[in-house]
Amino acid sequence: MSTAQKQKTTPAAPVIIASSVDEGYPTTMAPFGNALVALAEERPEIVGMSADLAKYTDIHIFAQAFPDRFYQMGMSEQLMATAAGGLSKEGFIPFATTYATFAARRCYDFVSQAVAEQDANVKLIGGLPGLTTGYGPSHQSTDDLAIFRAMPNLTVIDPCDAHEIEQLVPAIANYNGPVYTRILRGAVARVLDEYDYRFELGKAALLRGGNDVLVIATGFMTMRALDAAKDLQKDGIDVAVLHVPTIKPLDEATIAREAAKSGRLVVVAENHTVVGGLGEAVAGCLMRADVSCSMRQIGLPDKFLDAGTLSVLQDRYGISRQAVGNQIRGWL
Amino acid sequence: MDSLHNSQLAERAHRVRHNAIVMAEVQGQGYLAQALGVADVLTVTYLHAMQCRPEDPEWEDRDRFLLSVGHYGIAHYAILTEAGYLPEDELVTYGCDDSRLPMSGMTSYTPGAEMSGGSIGLGLPMAVGMGLGLKRKQSDSFIYTLMGDGELAEGPTWEAANSAAHYKLDNIIAIVDFNGVQADGPSRDIMSTEPIVDKFEAFGFYVQRVDGNDLPALVEAFNNAREHKEARPRIIICDTKMGKGVDSLERREKNHFIRLEGDDWPRVFEELESGRAK
Repeated sequence: MSTAQKQKTTPAAPVIIASSVDEGYPTTMAPFGNALVALAEERPEIVGMSADLAKYTDIHIFAQAFPDRFYQMGMSEQLMATAAGGLSKEGFIPFATTYATFAARRCYDFVSQAVAEQDANVKLIGGLPGLTTGYGPSHQSTDDLAIFRAMPNLTVIDPCDAHEIEQLVPAIANYNGPVYTRILRGAVARVLDEYDYRFELGKAALLRGGNDVLVIATGFMTMRALDAAKDLQKDGIDVAVLHVPTIKPLDEATIAREAAKSGRLVVVAENHTVVGGLGEAVAGCLMRADVSCSMRQIGLPDKFLDAGTLSVLQDRYGISRQAVGNQIRGWL
Repeated sequence: MDSLHNSQLAERAHRVRHNAIVMAEVQGQGYLAQALGVADVLTVTYLHAMQCRPEDPEWEDRDRFLLSVGHYGIAHYAILTEAGYLPEDELVTYGCDDSRLPMSGMTSYTPGAEMSGGSIGLGLPMAVGMGLGLKRKQSDSFIYTLMGDGELAEGPTWEAANSAAHYKLDNIIAIVDFNGVQADGPSRDIMSTEPIVDKFEAFGFYVQRVDGNDLPALVEAFNNAREHKEARPRIIICDTKMGKGVDSLERREKNHFIRLEGDDWPRVFEELESGRAK
């Protein structure tokens, strides 16, 4: 948008950080922080860290419950990532939190060399994933999945909801190795409870069958895909939804098997730039598996996004419930 | 603490230098001048100051050693061999395919290598994490980390310095090999770090600066660092001479990375031997 256009808009208080919960879903407060506290009661080797964003990543709940097990590192993300590697060398399991942008962009070499290359048992937690803030590009983590997918030895996760976050916390603690996971904070939707779903590291899950379209989705875009599937059902369009929380290692067998089922349009949906995220990961998987299908991508454009009201931006960039439904209709 | 007499330390340091030249000759090149310069510092670190069991590199009560300057792998393997972590006959595999002694130090390759360095600036931040962890375990072990003076231009070192003082990590003993040379030239021209003592003091460290090729002075400095009573991180700035012990390498103008012809190597060993007689 040009400067002139921006000046024409009516001044209004934009809702910059809003919940991305769609209508009709119950919510749970701070699922990450509470799940970590519950787990840490039984696991004394778990410690917490943050780079001056404890309150904004929900790990403040852990800090309050276990003040002597929480390390505030100040605004020093590179230090935090490397020191987390050091704590893991002494047998601890650090859960280190910051915003996803800072984890990925600012800390890349430190996560690569002090964590992933040394196979450190560090859990790096990224808040504000994708387009979940209207602050603008400094805080919109549109590229973290691409950045971290390129890192050998690192497990990469984008959870959908509170139910999944509660389950992934113990799952990644039980896995002995480096993990990056996005999280949603504050009031987080509960979506997956009703699908009899359990998070398994490295596994995709078919949440809903359908004969016309297969949506392969990650993060809260799975919620949007399920919502859009209900909307499209009213038009007689039958949409299946495959949820892929673990971006790396990718559940290639399940993805290839579902995509190979003939006749369906395959749509990949992610809260991330179209470059290097789930869409291209799925395309690569199907290329290696020699699966041919009609395929489309829903994701954020390859650009620095506007600042503004979150709901407006999610609609503008095609990741709202309505935008997802409209795009799929347009492709059929 | 078993402490070796200074003349014994001098003999051990000589063998460390010898080991480094053996490795450099295998490749015909390498960061040999740094290895020769820092040999006295590493000899005092491993053979005087550190509590370690070479036959059990992961002994829980050991002092930790973090090689932040990964390209000093050649220096590290030289002292690890002299200390007994590695057999001497393995030196000739240095930098070869499938060797445990890669040119840049990495933790998964070498017994006694506690971190992967190479990307400069990781040592002190890593030491902070280990320092916090050792405190949590109520361990008395120290963490030594070897940095270079050029490395001090890396920002995360200062993030780490800030936090080491904040958390009163008196179990960290940082070592700076201050040889005044970095890849693009003299460090005072590339990016001066002086006044380095004042800077670390301002950050809350207990700072000593010594002649890093003076064994008795090093012994005293490491003793002071271990015995210092204040709850502050410690740092020893060691002024060293690149190429120390081999006249022609000491005098060489560009010695950050040494490359020699095959015929030159016997002369390097000879110079080391004649230097010892001095």
